[in-house]
Amino acid sequence: MLAMMEALAAIKAFVASGGPILYWIAALAFAMWTLIFERLWFYKGSLGKIKAQTVELWEARGERKSWNSRQIRKALISRAASKINQNLDLLGTMVTLCPLLGLLGTVTGMIEVFNVLAVTGGGDAKSMASGVSRATIPTMAGMVAALSGVFGTTLINRIAERENHMLEDQLTMDH
Amino acid sequence: MKMNLKKAIVAVAAAGAIALSGSVMAQDKAASLDELLQMVKNSQIAENKENRQREAQFRKQRANQANMLAQAEATKKAEEDRSARLEQQHKEREQDVQAARQQLDDRLGSLKELFGHLTSTAGDLRAALDSSIVSVQYPGRTQFISELIEKMNSETKLPSIEEIERLWYELQRETVEGGKVVKFNSVVSDPAGNKAEREVVRIGNYNLLSDGKYLTYDVKSGSLNELPRQPGDHMKGAAAIQQATSGFTKVGIDPTGPAGGTLLSALINSPSIVERWHQGKLVGYIITGVGVFAILLALFRFVVLSAMGAKVSRQLKSNTASTDNPLGRVLKVAEENKGADTETLELKLEEATLKELPRIESGLNLLKIISMVAPLLGLLGTVTGMIVTFQAITIYGAGDPKAMAGGISGALVTTVLGLCVAIPTVLLHTFLNGKAKRIVHVLEEESAGLIAEKSESK
Repeated sequence: MLAMMEALAAIKAFVASGGPILYWIAALAFAMWTLIFERLWFYKGSLGKIKAQTVELWEARGERKSWNSRQIRKALISRAASKINQNLDLLGTMVTLCPLLGLLGTVTGMIEVFNVLAVTGGGDAKSMASGVSRATIPTMAGMVAALSGVFGTTLINRIAERENHMLEDQLTMDH
Repeated sequence: MKMNLKKAIVAVAAAGAIALSGSVMAQDKAASLDELLQMVKNSQIAENKENRQREAQFRKQRANQANMLAQAEATKKAEEDRSARLEQQHKEREQDVQAARQQLDDRLGSLKELFGHLTSTAGDLRAALDSSIVSVQYPGRTQFISELIEKMNSETKLPSIEEIERLWYELQRETVEGGKVVKFNSVVSDPAGNKAEREVVRIGNYNLLSDGKYLTYDVKSGSLNELPRQPGDHMKGAAAIQQATSGFTKVGIDPTGPAGGTLLSALINSPSIVERWHQGKLVGYIITGVGVFAILLALFRFVVLSAMGAKVSRQLKSNTASTDNPLGRVLKVAEENKGADTETLELKLEEATLKELPRIESGLNLLKIISMVAPLLGLLGTVTGMIVTFQAITIYGAGDPKAMAGGISGALVTTVLGLCVAIPTVLLHTFLNGKAKRIVHVLEEESAGLIAEKSESK
């Protein structure tokens, strides 16, 4: 309990020095990783069931060579793929948004620095320090979030591609 | 009547003068050359006579002059003697003064050192009291200290024990008052310039509040002014502390108060969000316009795509093709070409699908362009702002960071605006693109399958 409170205090101090933009970056990173884990969970769990159903539907057909069956096969694969590829675009966008949010924090921090400069005339370097930390910390946080997201999304994309190929291979045309 | 008489006299005198000068003029003028010659001779004779007279007078006075010279020399000698005597006297007196001073130093002894400390302490205290906001409550404290300093510096006066003790008292009073939160009445002028006696709350030596507003103390005129612009949410509780009678109350204070209150001035001088937005100038307005357009477009597309998606889902479940949705229209084409061979049917389906695509994807590309252009516009604003800043440097020089800082912070505002438009637009584009893609997916890859399934199930 005490350790948790200490950790919470440390986070609060970090956010206080980095500015409110950090909350946005944290929310974005949280949503991003939730989506990544959701995908992983899906690939490990319910994807198998969907694949089995699709293959079963295909195998239940009497003939698999006519134009009709080709079209039906295409539709089956497409339906499964849309489930496999769900949210992948959103994940990619989130990864690109993280550094942008960091940049936003940098610029707002710089505005604060110049504001202090305009008021005090630049004589007091200490009073500018809060603005400088508000300019640098969000950039770092945005970079960290984006980098972690790059690894996650690359993994997810590879799995999705592999699953799509495997499904296509399982629905054989000729028997 | 008297005036008239005076005027008459002046007039008569003037007339006389003119007549006289007229006769002199007549004498000066010669009628002929002979007469002129005669006149020259006469005047020569007259001059010679005058010169002889003058010579006689000078000769008479010569003896007299020698006498006067002797007298002046005697006076000079007497004065010189007196000067020497006075100088001697001055020297003697100076020695006396020196001796007296020595005596004074001897007798003062360690007191002299004490007075030195007292003077420096009193000087420091005077400077502190001048700028202290406690002086609002107790005005006229520094006059006594000035007198004390003057006394300690003079050679003829000595401060009394009471006065030295009063210095101690004032020092202690400043310290004690600096730790108190008190209410008192004083004249306060509001931003409009109206003066009125109001209840003022003083928080130690840090801030003055009245009716929930922060006040400034003008040291030069000794007047209390309400700040024309009050600090925002950072400094709440000013009204609460005025109403409080005991216990603890939360209130924002400026810890740099005794040193001039730089934090408070920085707080109230920082521009509000709307002012910041205006700092972006033309580029800022353009970015805002583009952003508003992007959001409206996204909302419109969201409504259209949601309706379309719902209709397509309904179409997937029903058996009859309706023309109110893209999938229905594609299926209708298939129904119309029932007898055609598979290749023709495929081509017809493809054609029908292609016809539907622009309607589904319209506006999405524009959203994507806006999400890319907005940061570029922000960059443009930054660069134009920097140009303005550098122009200010060439005109005023780099000596004034305030002149530059204003322009720079204005330049950065456009970057912020650009990012603030780009980030939501990117998200909206991704979201809407996903919605559109789902419908296109159904059209391109599932329509043929649906037709095949239908024909088989018959």
